[in-house]
Amino acid sequence: MKEGSHVAFAVVQQVINGLALGGIYSLIAIGWTTVFGIVGVINWTHGEVYMIGAFAGYFAVALFHLSLLPALAVAVIVSGSVAMSIDHFCYRPLRAAPRVALLITALGLSMFLRYLCAALWTPDPRAYPKVLSYSLIRLFSVGGQAVTISSMHLNIVLLTLLIMAGLEIFLGTSKVGKAMLAASQDFETIGLMGVEANKLIAITFFLSGALGGAAGVFVGVLYDVDPMMGALAGLKGWVVAILGGVGSITGSLIAGIVLGILESLVSGFVSTGYRDAIGFVIMILVLLIKPTGLLGFKFEEKV
Amino acid sequence: MSVRNVIEGASVARLLKLRERIALGGGLLAFAFGALFILLVCFVDYLSPSGEVVPPFIKHIIFLVLIYSILTLSLNFVSGFIGQVSFGHAAFFGFGAYASAILTLDYRWSFWTAFLAAGVISGMLGIPAGAPALRTKGNFLAVITYGFAEVVRFVALNLDITGGPSGLPGIPTPRLFKDFSSIGPTGKEAFIILAFLLAAFIAYFTSRVEQSRTGRAFAAIREDEIAALAMGININYYKLLAFVLGAVFAGFAGSLFAHYTRFVSPEILTSDQSVLILTMVIFGGPRSIKGSFVGATVLVLIPEVLHSLKDILGLPYDPWLICYGFILILMMRVRPQGLFGDRSIFAK
Repeated sequence: MKEGSHVAFAVVQQVINGLALGGIYSLIAIGWTTVFGIVGVINWTHGEVYMIGAFAGYFAVALFHLSLLPALAVAVIVSGSVAMSIDHFCYRPLRAAPRVALLITALGLSMFLRYLCAALWTPDPRAYPKVLSYSLIRLFSVGGQAVTISSMHLNIVLLTLLIMAGLEIFLGTSKVGKAMLAASQDFETIGLMGVEANKLIAITFFLSGALGGAAGVFVGVLYDVDPMMGALAGLKGWVVAILGGVGSITGSLIAGIVLGILESLVSGFVSTGYRDAIGFVIMILVLLIKPTGLLGFKFEEKV
Repeated sequence: MSVRNVIEGASVARLLKLRERIALGGGLLAFAFGALFILLVCFVDYLSPSGEVVPPFIKHIIFLVLIYSILTLSLNFVSGFIGQVSFGHAAFFGFGAYASAILTLDYRWSFWTAFLAAGVISGMLGIPAGAPALRTKGNFLAVITYGFAEVVRFVALNLDITGGPSGLPGIPTPRLFKDFSSIGPTGKEAFIILAFLLAAFIAYFTSRVEQSRTGRAFAAIREDEIAALAMGININYYKLLAFVLGAVFAGFAGSLFAHYTRFVSPEILTSDQSVLILTMVIFGGPRSIKGSFVGATVLVLIPEVLHSLKDILGLPYDPWLICYGFILILMMRVRPQGLFGDRSIFAK
């Protein structure tokens, strides 16, 4: 009986630990999914945009001594602009080219940016100066043991939720947001409705990059930043996007938190070595069993 | 069918035969020159009175070029013949290397049996790796192959039998009458010759497959899957076949590489490795045998030159890693079909 309550406590604690990271995964995944839904390209550079956002935030805090929120704003603008320029200079000339050419361009660009940043900023990890205070908060108790969350994690979770809510409102009410939602369902028709395709794509890339940059700052605040951080995180965002259903923002939100919690459980109960592998296993299974993910819609193949 | 049609059909068949024969002749010529070159590089040291003419470093690079040529040819089955992008080819290379290492180290197999077994085991891994290709393709398949290779890498990092992050050292060198390391002036020569023969065999095999019923089925699937299905081609069988063939040959390359360096670590399973092999295929031109060799040669040589540039200029970072992403972008913009590929590859 005592054993059981101990396990229950451990599970609940790991779930709480996974929440912050899960929220961050959701942010990255939404960036993937909006771009894929509209342009149909697996934007392999998303991980690098996220990394650049994290560095922008780092420099804002470390060099210009900004506090968290202004630094977040700087990072969001920088990474959004980077994503927009990537589209403008690299993807737009290939708009009529086959998808495979786009995919390989994206892959090459991601390597290029990653190693360019490593050359500029050295590959060593850097920690953000302290921008959030740290204390352990007792939430509730399970089986006689107190479940805790650090104030940093709690703040990040709250900020993530705030951004998500803002995004929902933007997509649901603004004209641009509605156009984006419509475009993700049928891009050709929306062109006929008088929407300027290239402008809409540029805005989508900005939004995607901005969300990635915000996620980068959050990871930087919680852990640290280094030029290689985008490689794995970017892919995990894609895993989450697939699990949630490509094109579905709510799906990404749920799936991100699911992946964060699962990883936390795997590193708590199985082995930390397999923590990063679980996402890929899930992705392969999802694509084989239910390619539409949790909440996605079906991509019909046209003859 | 009119008489005229029959005659035209016959002449087309004769033309195809002729083309085949020319291609085979060109291949034989290339093989003869290649063999001459390899033998010269390997044994010219014996002819010179001063001893070393070709430094061991050059021999090492020649061996690398041959190994990567094999890998490029093997990835061509997937990325060339059936036209699917695979970001996970290093998984088979690494799997062959590990299989061969474990069989010779733990089970005391001889190199030759372990070499064959590595190909077979790696080929068996090709079945689960190729299975997703039956349900998805294009973008999604690319990501799946990437994820698959990453999972293989995480497993290699975490198992005891693979030695974890530190890998497996002390893999025995092969023996054929004599120990491989005691043949030739530097002990690398036997490996180079073996790699050359393997590459030549795979090149020949590839050209034969392309002309065969199987090759035409691959082409049909690549050009239009639905039409191929309507023609009664067993799509699932041929897709799996392409993956398995690629995996078998990559497994051979892995085994040879492991016994050459006498060491394997999860480093050879990284995604950078997979992307490098894909870059070679794309650079040389998918489905081109010539292109496979050229792609591998150029993309092995450029990093070596840049590495030495880094040492000469004293740069704190490796300029190669930046360049190689750039090569991919540039190729897609300027010549998406590669140096020797034909235009129809990325048709859709």
